[in-house]
This record gives sequence, C-alpha cells and structure tokens, in this order.
Amino acid sequence: MIGILSLSIILFFTLRPKEEIDYAIHVKPILNNHCIACHGGVKKNAGFSLLFQEEALGKTASGHPAIIPGDARNSPLIKRLHESDPELRMPYQKAALSKEEIKILTQWIDQGAKWGTHWAYQKPEKTTPPVVDQNYSDMEFIINPIDRFIAARLEEKNLLPNQQAKKEILARRVALDLTGLPPKKAIFNAFIDGQINYESLVDSLLSFDSFGEKWASWWLDLARYADSKGYEKDPQRSIWQYRDWVIKAFNKDLSFDQFTMDQLAGDLYSDPTADQLIATGFHRNTMNNDEGGTEDEEFRVVSVLDRVNTTFDVWQSTTMSCVQCHGHPYDPFKQKDYYQLMAFFNNSRDEDTPDEAPNFRTYSIENNKKIERILSWIKKHGTDESHDAFKKIIQFMEPKYQLHNCENFVNGELSDSKYLALWNNGTALLRDVHSKGNTSLYIYYETPHKNSKITLRENDSKGKILGKMELKKSDWKIARFSFAKVDKPIDLFIEAKNDDLSPQSSTSRILWFAFVPDLPGKGSDGYAEVADDLLEVMNTPQTMTPIMSENPDYMKRTTHVFDRGNWLMKKEIVAAGTPAVINRWEKNWPKNRLGLARWIVSSENPLTSRTLVNRVWDQIFGKGLVTTIEDLGSQSSPPTHPALLDWLSVEFVDSQKWRLKSLIKSIVMSGTYRQSSAVFDKKHRADPQNNFYARGPKFRLTAEQIRDQALFVSGLLSDKMYGPGVMPPQPDGVWEHAYLGNLWVESKGEDRFRRAIYTFLKRTSPYPSFMTFDTGSREVCLVKRTPTNTPLQALVTMNDPVYLEAALNFAKLYHQKLQPDNAIKAMYEAAIFKKINPDTFEILKQLYLAALIEYEQKPDQLDNFFGNKNMQEISLAALTLVANAIMNLDEFLTHA
Amino acid sequence: MERIEKLLREQRLKNAQLNTRRHFLKECALGIGGLALGSFLASCDNKSINKQHYLSDRSLNPMAPLPAPYLPKVKSVIYLHMVGAPSQLEMFDYKPELAKLHNQPCPSSLLDGKKFAFIRGVPNMLGPQAKFARAGESGNWISDYLPHFKKVIDEVAFLKAVHTDQFNHGPAQLLMQTGSSRFGRPSIGSWVTYGLGSENQNLPGFVVLTSGGTPDAGKSVWGSGFLPSIYQGVQCRSKGDPVLYLKDPDGVPRHLKKKVLESINAINYKEFLEFKDPEVLTRINQYEMAYRMQTAVPEVMNINNEPEAIKEMYGVEPGKESFANNCLLARKMVEEGVRFVQLYDWGWDSHGTNHSTAVDLGLKNKCREIDRPITALLLDLKQRGLLDETLIVWGGEFGRTPMQETREGRTHKYKGRDHHGDAFTMWLAGGGIKKGAVHGATDEIGYSGVEGRVSVYDIQATILHLLGFNHEEFTYNFQGRPFRLTDVEGQLINEILA
Repeated sequence: MIGILSLSIILFFTLRPKEEIDYAIHVKPILNNHCIACHGGVKKNAGFSLLFQEEALGKTASGHPAIIPGDARNSPLIKRLHESDPELRMPYQKAALSKEEIKILTQWIDQGAKWGTHWAYQKPEKTTPPVVDQNYSDMEFIINPIDRFIAARLEEKNLLPNQQAKKEILARRVALDLTGLPPKKAIFNAFIDGQINYESLVDSLLSFDSFGEKWASWWLDLARYADSKGYEKDPQRSIWQYRDWVIKAFNKDLSFDQFTMDQLAGDLYSDPTADQLIATGFHRNTMNNDEGGTEDEEFRVVSVLDRVNTTFDVWQSTTMSCVQCHGHPYDPFKQKDYYQLMAFFNNSRDEDTPDEAPNFRTYSIENNKKIERILSWIKKHGTDESHDAFKKIIQFMEPKYQLHNCENFVNGELSDSKYLALWNNGTALLRDVHSKGNTSLYIYYETPHKNSKITLRENDSKGKILGKMELKKSDWKIARFSFAKVDKPIDLFIEAKNDDLSPQSSTSRILWFAFVPDLPGKGSDGYAEVADDLLEVMNTPQTMTPIMSENPDYMKRTTHVFDRGNWLMKKEIVAAGTPAVINRWEKNWPKNRLGLARWIVSSENPLTSRTLVNRVWDQIFGKGLVTTIEDLGSQSSPPTHPALLDWLSVEFVDSQKWRLKSLIKSIVMSGTYRQSSAVFDKKHRADPQNNFYARGPKFRLTAEQIRDQALFVSGLLSDKMYGPGVMPPQPDGVWEHAYLGNLWVESKGEDRFRRAIYTFLKRTSPYPSFMTFDTGSREVCLVKRTPTNTPLQALVTMNDPVYLEAALNFAKLYHQKLQPDNAIKAMYEAAIFKKINPDTFEILKQLYLAALIEYEQKPDQLDNFFGNKNMQEISLAALTLVANAIMNLDEFLTHA
Repeated sequence: MERIEKLLREQRLKNAQLNTRRHFLKECALGIGGLALGSFLASCDNKSINKQHYLSDRSLNPMAPLPAPYLPKVKSVIYLHMVGAPSQLEMFDYKPELAKLHNQPCPSSLLDGKKFAFIRGVPNMLGPQAKFARAGESGNWISDYLPHFKKVIDEVAFLKAVHTDQFNHGPAQLLMQTGSSRFGRPSIGSWVTYGLGSENQNLPGFVVLTSGGTPDAGKSVWGSGFLPSIYQGVQCRSKGDPVLYLKDPDGVPRHLKKKVLESINAINYKEFLEFKDPEVLTRINQYEMAYRMQTAVPEVMNINNEPEAIKEMYGVEPGKESFANNCLLARKMVEEGVRFVQLYDWGWDSHGTNHSTAVDLGLKNKCREIDRPITALLLDLKQRGLLDETLIVWGGEFGRTPMQETREGRTHKYKGRDHHGDAFTMWLAGGGIKKGAVHGATDEIGYSGVEGRVSVYDIQATILHLLGFNHEEFTYNFQGRPFRLTDVEGQLINEILA
C-alpha cells in the first residue's frame, strides 16, 4: 500500500536525488492544484491536458509535445515554469510553483514521466496490523486490530490515547450509535452492574429492531427517499415499502453485496421475490415532474441521469455528474464513459408519467386469494409462459405503452401534457407499437361522458380496424377490450367519437394501453368469473410502490452521448459499459443493470468496499478515514490511516462477508471507540480535529436522534414500525400551498410519537425542525450532512410544541413519585445517563425554585401552560421547566 | 516557501485567537460566577475583552460578518422575485409593432424548432394590452399598469434582453436562484451570507418573505444546498410565529425563560470546563443569540409602529400577508443590517386560462399590488440614505410569449401568454447601478434579444460583483471540486454599472 501524504507534507520534505518519484503521491497533487484547471478535462488550453497519459505526452496545439520523457530540460512544460516573462510563465497569472514542486516535476520527467494510478483506483490489499509499543497494550487501548493501526499513528505523533470512557457514558454512546436511542433501563443497569459485559451489550443492541431504524436514516439520505414526487405541486408518492425494506434488510443483516444487487437490479433476477422488486424502488426515488407543460421525456432523462450520478455517489465515491457535460476535471473519466453508464439505466419502463408506473401492486388478503385462484386457473388452462406473463401483469402491469408518446393530433391534445385527450372526431397516432400477437387490450382511462367511442386502426385513417372500444363513464380505471391479432410492429391510429359533446371538449383521458394475452380456458366452466376477478383485482391494489422494470427487446431505447449534457443534442450512439480505470468487466456478466451491480460488488472493484467502510466509520466517528466521504478521487483528502482503510475494506469482504453488523461491531468494540471524549489542551493543540483519534468521538446527535431521544426519555415514543409516513405536529401554515391549501393532516394517537424515520417527508417542505438540525430535502443523493450549531436549533428544542409536550411528560414521570430534589436528580440521570454533580444539581434546583415562586405568586399563568389548559400543579410546572432545561443541555444533544 | 510562511502565519493567528477566547471566557465567567452567570457572554460587552472579536470568530459564530474580498458597492440585497414570470410586454418592453400584428397568425419562422410549455399548433399574435409612455429624465418606457413606478424610473437600470434556457417554473426558479435548474445547489442568498455573514447577530442573515404562496420549486429556492444549513434562508412569516418556534412556551414569562436559558448555559459552561470541547462554547453562544432573536425578530416584523405616512406610502395592510407589507419589512431588515432579503410574490403566471391570469385583467391587478410598494421601497431607502448601500433586483424566472396562448388550436377565453425564456426584462437599482440605464433590446415583437443579451448567470455574477466578489473566485469545495454560483458561466454586465 502506498503511504499517502498530504500536499503540505510534501512541501516539507526534500527529495534525495535518486529517489523514485511516484506519480500518484508526488506529481498528481501538484498537477491538480496548479495545472489542471486550465489543462484538464474541462479546459484544454493550447491543446494540452494533463488528465490522461496519452494527452499529456501527445502533441499540443503547437505541434510538439509539452513533456519529453527523460528530458526535462527540453520539455516545454518545465521551461514554462521557469519563464521570466509573465505572459509565458505558468501557471498563467498565478503564483509560481515552489522550487520543491518544480524539482519534483523535473525529476519525474527525467525519470521517464511514468504515469500512475490514483490509490483509490487500485484494489485494496490485505495489510498486517502494525506492532506498536507495549505501552498501548498496557493502557488497555489495544483491543482489536483496528487499535494497532490507530496506535501506530499515535506513536508517530507522540500522542497517547485517552482512558476508556466511563461505563455509563459508553453505554449511552454505543446505544445511540447502534440504535439511535439511549439504552433501555434494563440493559443499561445490567451492563453497569456487570451482569453483562460490553460485548453482550453491543450484541444485544445490534439485535434490536431499532438498529435498522437508525441505520436506515443514513441509507435513505443516499437513496434520496421521500414521500413526495418533488417539483411544483410536489404531490404525494407511495414508496414507503421501499423504506421498510431498507429497515428490514439492515435488521436481518442482508449482506451488503446482496443489498446492493437487490436495489440496483432485483427486477432482473430470474424469478424475483416481492422484496427484491420493492428493493429496486431505490432508483425510483428519483423525482417525478407532474407540472403542466413539462415534457415527460425530458424528466425521464433527468431521472436516468440522476441514477447514474447517484449510483456512483453511493457506491463509488465518485462524482460522475461532472462528466455529464464534459470530461472529468480531475479524475480519469471521459464524457463517453458517462453515457456508457447511462445506457445501463436507459431501458427501464418508467417515463415520468403521473401514475409513476411501473408500480409493484400489493393486494388485500382477500384479493390475494383471488389471485391464487386466477393463477392456478391459468396454470391449468394455459402455458407456463402465459402464467409468467399474468403474474407480471398482476404484480406490476408491464410492459405497456404510455400514450404521452402520441403525435399528429387532430381535434385533440395531450391534456396537461400527460393524457391522450381526443375530442369528437379527434385522431392521434402512436408509433411503433408491437402487440406481439396479444389480443386483449387493457387501457387506463377516465371520462365524465357516456357514449365515447374509440376506434383503433393500423397505420392511418384508412387502415384496417384493429379494435373498437366504447368507454363507460368512469373515474380512472383499467378496462379490457379485444384487439386483433397483429404479429408485427405497427403505427396505431386512434380515433375518437362522441357526437353529444360540445366542440373542443375531450371524449376521455387515457394514460396507457397494454397488450396482454387472452385469459386461457375460454369456454371452460367458471371462465367468466375468473376474467371478472382479474379485472377487479387489477383495479383494487392496496398499495402501489414504484419499482424498476426493464424494457423488452422490442421496446429498447438507444443511448446517445449528449452534447454538453443537453438531452436534445444527441451525438454518437453508445453501448452499455463501465469505466476502464476502475475494474474489468467479466464476460459472463449480462450487459444490463444486473451486470453493472455485479461489477460494483466484484472483489476487483477498488472503490465499493472502501466507500462503504469509510462511510460507516464516518457514521460512528463523525468523520471518515478519508474525510471527503463523498469523493475518493484524486481531489479527495488523503486518508488519515490508509493502511487501516484498506485493512477494513479487505476484512469487510473476505472475513466479514459483507455483513454490516460485523463491520459495525468490530469498530465499536475497538479501544479507539471506547475512549473518553474529553479534550485536553495539549492534545487539542496537537490534533484539534481529532484526526489521530487520541480521544473518543463526540458530536451532536442527528435530527432524528434528537427528537426520538426526547420522546424516548419522556416515555412518549411509540415502537410501532413500518407503514405510510406519519404527520406529527408541525406549525400551521408550513405546508400551505398556493392553490392546494394546507395538506398536513396531523396524525392521531401513537402515530404522533413514531420514530422520526417514519415522518412524512415532503420534498418542497420537509419537517421543519429536522431541517433545522441539518437533514436534507432528499431531492438528490446526500452523502454527508454538514452538522451545524445555530440559534434556530436552540429555538426548536426550547420552544417547539413537540419538545414542550415531551418536557411536560418527562416531568410527569417523576413528579408524583419523588420529592423535588430527587425528581431533579432522577430526571437528569434518566436523560444524561450519569450521576448529577452538585453544581449542576444546584443550578437546576435554583431554576425549580424560581419557577415555583413565580407560579405561586401568579398562578393564573398556568391557565395555559406548555400547551396544556388548566395546569393545576405548580410544582409540576416548575419541574417541567427543569425538564425543558435538561433537554437542552449539550450533554443531552450530543453523544459524549 | 511563501506558502509555508502563509500557513504558519495563519496558524499563529488561529492560536492567538484561541488564546484570547480562552482568556476572555475565563475572565468573564469567573468575574461573574455561579448562578449570576446569566448572559455572561453578552455582559462582557463593556469589559476590556472585545466582543467584536468574539462575534467575528466563525468557529463560534458562523454568521460573523466578514469583509468582502474586493471593494463592495453595496452591503445588502433586496431581491424581488415575481413568481410565475411576469409579462414584460405589459410592463416594461414596449412593442408598438406587436400591436399591429395583433390577432394575426404567428409566422412559422417563430415556431419552427421551438418548444413551448403549452402552446401547440399555430397561435395568433397578441398585441400589448397596456399603454406605454416615456417617463422620467431618462425617458424610459413604462406601461400604465405601473403608474407609481414613474417616480423612480430614473433610479433603475433595465435589462431588456435577459434569457434563460428553462421554461418550466420549478427548474427556471432554481436556475435563477441557485445557478442550476437541478436541485442541490445553494441559493444566491446562501452564497452571500456564507461569504459575508451578517451585520446583525440578532436577526437571521438571510430572510425570506413570501406573499401569495411558496414558489413552485419549493423551499429549495432558498436552500443552502451543500453549504452548511445555517446559511439557508429563514422564512419570516406574517401569520403565526414570525420565525418558527420563536415564541416562548405558554405560561413562561420572559424573565423565567431567561432563567431557563441561564441554567442551560451555566451547566454547559461547566461541561466545557470539564471536557474542554470548544463546540460547547459555540452552543452557549447560539443559545444567547436565540434569546436575543426572540426579541429582535418580532420587533423588526412589527410594522404597526411605523409612522402613518410610511404605512400609507407602501400601502401596507397590518396583520395580513402582503407584498406591500413585505416591502416595508425588507426596508426595516436592511436597515437593521440583514444581509439578504428575498421576497417572493406569487401569482404572475398569466396564461389566460381565467380572469386572474389574463394579461388585461388579473395581471393589471398584480401590477397594482406591487407598483406602490416597490416605488415606496426605493423612495424610502433613498430618503434614509440606504439606497446607495443596498441592491434591489426585480424579475421573474422567465418572460412571456408575444403570441396568445393556444393549446392544440383551442383558444382560451381570456388573453394570456405562454412561458418564454428567450427574452424578458429585469431591473436592478441601488448602489453601484447606473441610474436610468437601459441595456439590451429585443426585436420588434419582443420575441428575442437582438442586442445586449444577458443570461441568468450574468445577473448573478453582477450581483456578486456589487457585493465585492469575483464570481469566478468565490467557490466552495464539495465532492472534490470547487463549486460556484455561476458554474462555468457568467459575465459581468458592465453596461449597467455606475
């Protein structure tokens, strides 16, 4: 493994004359810092770019190469660094390179200008944990191999680790990190009393359902999960089954490679389970634009591009979005690479339609029984093939033709730029339709009128009639008609008639056509009933969840390079492919999303496991081993512990078999993690950012943790899991829409107190108190929340009715049972998980007394107190203020 | 070597700051001590240790004011965004030739290869529905929809040929406000407060005021994107708490609330002494600020105390949510040192599908709603000597077509215009702006810019310039690369700079 040194360190060491210059370590940082802005992937001034070897060594606009390997003296690049004429000297109009930097470049060229690969693009190799001074073991710091890597760096820096944190601190810390909640009393006491040891505590926490709820928050940021579609009206979307899938996957410790493949390509398995289909909701969390006047194809493309970007943000710590418009400015990716990746995602059925098809349909128990009967009927009377086709139709109703692709309208329009809406005598054309010989036509339509008739013809107004439909007056529904047997692709000419209507009013609005085999067994007893059941079931799904589904061959799209990223400017056609620099493509992988998923979880991929362990480390320590957790490319921060990063990556794949719980356990079991987080002056000076881990992690809790913890300590938190998003109290008017009004309908009963992960997330107006604590709005993938510390946060925890209700309830738990002094002590301990010290007690006691005096003198103030009418007990009110104060302490809002 | 020296210098400075802070806290805390500690940070105001420095330390206060890298022309910005895209053809861009073409079918040369949001088929041209006249010393054109605006027309510089490549509301609003039509980038107000902080620590540095509704693109138009969330816009509301959760809990008088806050800070300070985590000091400071904000925000949001003449001048309606109220609030805010005040007024999407979106009816009313307040805002700032240090920007997210909107040959009952990004009008006024200037011109029917075309990025670059930034140098590192508001675009509009 290459030792990675930051640029500032490079500046300090002088190279010995014979020392071999390493491109990745020595040269690339200088080029990135000083040269590549003008000679890189975006700008190639004077026809010279330093991004790829062939360009750097090739001829520039002058007709000569800028770098002559082995001959620095005559290389224009070096000459230009020494120029005295400011017009010629490089970097142009910027400070000159330092002597050391020029020396490095000179030696590098003299040594042959050998190219190299950035460390993150080389496969991590198994490293041996270093041997460190006995001192560290004596301090009980070395608990597992992680600590050896950490100690080795501490040794270099002449730092000693902190003592282990006190048991009560550690118990709260690890419970919050693993489950997002403080420890429950029983397990906390068992640990403090020594009935269970630390490892048992950790194992128990990992086995709780709350583990999945905590870690899902992290993944849902990456997945850009939300309960609304985004854009303009930002209507509701039902994709919570995907959220529940993530929670369950974490709880059952689905291995990360499987977890990855299910989400990227679950629909492409040979016989996917319902769970695997729902997992593909990952890439259906893209936004959907229903705004009138927007073209669906434009926003379909936006979603596809977002899938490319997100896949690389999530699994490869690589910013692919740069490459959409031009070559990557710093990293070795070409624009064509981007569109080859896009080709993997460009053949899913979704087309930005208002129904968000394809949707996985979940049915009621009763309907599931009917479905069983229908499918066994088909098995009995039809072929295996038709059984499979009907199973898919019932599960997710694909493939189908979306009618927003109609053209040549006469007396008709694409209503709201979404639906086919023909007037009386209206016609339109739908090109390139392949019914594959299927003779049942299912359509999804609505009409407020009677007697609307639709005729379907082959190719044009004179063409053979293929189908006739009389539409019943109806709200949106699926209806079934017969269709002529056609075995080739045709253009479908659509005519509408309804003489009763006034001019320019629509006969109907139709969203899609689907060509389906006839239900087999016609003529057999019970056929009509099964046919009716089928249609009825199709029209009454209980829940619809957007999923991925691939185009059949006859519906495949071609993928082009877009000029400067503009979807209307199509250039050359490209086939699916992955960037050569990362890892090889195995021949036996299918060239689709499933193959891409295999490429990502291949043990040859240098980025996947590093990305994952780095981000899990970040979740636990508040920063990654590479602090730029969103980017491991050549502009990333060098790893603070490169050998540890690689050791963890290899260990995660080889020994831990991609099991997240094993990885997390190994980290929280380490001595590094268990240290006290106290900051001592000297240490703070030596390492203000705690990059070397001579103290334990301490940081502010996340938005979800802060709210869940408040509900937890006050006994309000519901442990109900799963289901549609809930709407806990939020201030009036926050959801006020210009013409849709206030749409936030406060949940009742325990749904008011569910864990934050179940809170309805509307993209254009997320739950306000969460936003104040740095959650995002989930429009795009969010790799890292930037923690802030603001006055608005203080207002939330001091004044938000949710926190007031919690404080009041918290006080109620102790008010009856205990005398004030003991109540204060008990509340502090219940919230902070440590014994109160006398000073703190005194401050809270004084607050209690001040409040008591206030309310004794002016009891009418309690007529309306903390959202409670007619508060009778003065002492409870006083204790509530103490609760409010405790719930605002730094110790409460952070994990120490 | 120069780099190393610079690094060392910075490091020494940091250490010095740290020591001063430590000293300061020790002095203050011990000086007051115990339970009387309350408000101990602020109460050091009069002592030898300077609060200035304390407030200027960004690790303690991320909103601390910072000097602009270049000499700024203005200190603050009031940005008036007409959500829905106002019709330039009824307000500022006078096109007599278009009147002559009224009701004639649109020539195919204007339609070929163009995409519209709603127009399908061949629409008719729609002449200007307002009357135009020259006004002021500049003699610039103005429509009779804006009778008051004549008084201040010489203060503003018009951009008559602004263009955007987005013609749907959400993406176009995002582009205008964040420099990208996709979600995820910081808004211009976030960039500015990130770069400059704010002069008043008791009020949010970036305030958002809406009338009529939220923009189509939602709260992302004032989001902080990848910048820390403290730089996101804070919506100050006319109904309910002016800032969310600002109000103390019922039944808790102010002095008791103060006691709660003092208790929190006192315990936090003890924690700091024990564990020495500097982040705790930041939290103490944030709680102090929150407490002060609870008084300062309602004060600034209260327009009742303004003199009658001022209320009359703006045409405010106390107790309601209105654009007029928001204009007056904007003045109060910049007067108090708020860095960036963003107004959104909803209801400018004049498609002609009903009375309120007709360019000859509803649009007239919308103009009436903004005409007096905007005029008052400029005059009021001027009489207070604030106009020279404030930048006012007016515009929408795109413009509107010179054609009447028709959808597949179906004509609307009312006169309306479709979305149009090729040419529309915006104006700027205030410090550093060339008064009475007109830059850019459209063709005879107002369809395309023929000279002085400026892009959304050009306007953003110019706003940043006036605040003392070079838009190409003002970057934030994210995902391994420096991002900027104007991405890789943007040219300063020198023609409107004084």
